[in-house]
Amino acid sequence: MSDRMVRIVEILIDSFLPLLKAGLAFTVPLTIISFLLGLMVAFIIAIIKVLNIKPFVSIASFYVWIIRGTPLLVQLFIIFYGLPSVGITLNAMTSAIIGFTLSVGAYGSEIVRAAILSVSKGQWEAAHALGLTKKKTLFYVILPQAVKVAVPSLSNSFISLVKDTSLAAAVTVKELFQVAQQITARTYEPLWLYMEAAAIYLIFCTILTFGQSKMEVWFSRHMAQ
Amino acid sequence: MMIKIEKVYKKFGTLEVLKNINMEVAQGEVVCIIGPSGSGKSTLLRSLNHLERISSGRIIIDSELLDERKDDIDVHKISSKKVLEICAELGMVFQRFNLFPHMTVIENVMLSPIRVKKVDKKEAEEQALELLRKVGLLDKKDVYPSKLSGGQQQRVAIARALAMKPKIMLFDEPTSALDPELVSEVLEVIKSLANEGMTMLVVTHEMGFAKEVADRVVFMDNGEIIEENIPDVIFKNPIHDRTKAFLSKIL
Ligand SMILES: Nc1ncnc2c1ncn2[C@@H]1O[C@H](COP(=O)(O)OP(=O)(O)OP(=O)(O)O)[C@@H](O)[C@H]1O
Ligand SMILES: [Mg+2]
Repeated sequence: MSDRMVRIVEILIDSFLPLLKAGLAFTVPLTIISFLLGLMVAFIIAIIKVLNIKPFVSIASFYVWIIRGTPLLVQLFIIFYGLPSVGITLNAMTSAIIGFTLSVGAYGSEIVRAAILSVSKGQWEAAHALGLTKKKTLFYVILPQAVKVAVPSLSNSFISLVKDTSLAAAVTVKELFQVAQQITARTYEPLWLYMEAAAIYLIFCTILTFGQSKMEVWFSRHMAQ
Repeated sequence: MMIKIEKVYKKFGTLEVLKNINMEVAQGEVVCIIGPSGSGKSTLLRSLNHLERISSGRIIIDSELLDERKDDIDVHKISSKKVLEICAELGMVFQRFNLFPHMTVIENVMLSPIRVKKVDKKEAEEQALELLRKVGLLDKKDVYPSKLSGGQQQRVAIARALAMKPKIMLFDEPTSALDPELVSEVLEVIKSLANEGMTMLVVTHEMGFAKEVADRVVFMDNGEIIEENIPDVIFKNPIHDRTKAFLSKIL
């Protein structure tokens, strides 16, 4: 083996643990926390829109419009670098969580809304005829059916989020990609290090995809049609 | 009177679907509505629980004002709470069943007593079992609707509507979506309700059924009530040519 090869292998081995640690300490929690909070936002926004809850509908639409119409990276910069100038200083991780939550909330709300609208009108009518209010109809009749429809799309956006969290490197979160950049700066082996980082993302996503298919099976079994 | 429909008009855009409908249904009466496709039968039925809003006229259910409008504007604003209260007195059975697919048969039947009437779970369950026995589906209580035949689904839908202890039952072509061999099991259940004295308004294409159970048959065509009478007269000696033409086509 040439000296260069030996050096590269050494660097890859030495950097594997720091990268994995960064992944487990920042990438994974950032993904999970943002996703769960984002889901809550998504459902709230979708419900506001479907029930047409007056003062909030336009706020909800405005929010979705802004988030979907501007780059996530720019949003992260505004939160982390921009807000301090109006006196709101957030640490890097908090900024990233807020940014990703807002993003998941906006895109997720459209998924949830579409799923709600996919439930047949007859379900609303039957519930109305039984005397259920719109709110009760939504909670007891429509949402359980809509969730089932939304699960595949939502779990796709979860997996996208794992990868999107690499953007948090740009606002100094010490997640996987940021650590890869740091090691690269020291070792000048960008090709190999970024490949290694990619491989770790791939491992995370593969595990999650596996979990996703398990969950979909569970949903189709436990929410019989 | 359980149902009073006064000078009701309904427009969808420029299409006039109901034209000066006047009708009364007394306590315990079974009224069948017949007529060609598109004559406004479903629209009329659906106006009785606000699934459609009338354009003009007045609807009174069991002495409570359900709707009074003129040119698509409320003459009296009825709160949605009041509307739902009145809806709870009307059971409705749809052509396409509309059972809740994520709930078992018994959960379908228990939902509204628990969530609307706040009946406690134990009592709701006993009552649901009783209703399922009545429609002959006690053994299917823990099954999901997708596992049932159309006739069975429709019988569950009837049990579900009855769970609210309605004073009036509305049926919109309850057997039109069924395979022919499943029609009679559903009609039998409806007949038994008639025998118990339930007030009913039934849109149907089953003339044999109408002859047998209806106290009165209403013939609608093109948004109007053309004639109404006891079944014997409507089916044997209809007065109007349109009624004759319609009956000759389907009998
Ligand atoms: N939501 C709607 N928007 C526009 N037009 C409608 C709507 N619902 C019904 N119509 C029209 O109103 C007319 C009456 O419809 P309706 O469903 O009441 O007839 P029907 O007598 O029940 O017919 P069928 O025997 O086919 O069920 C039809 O011309 C129909 O196309
Ligand atoms: Mg119809």
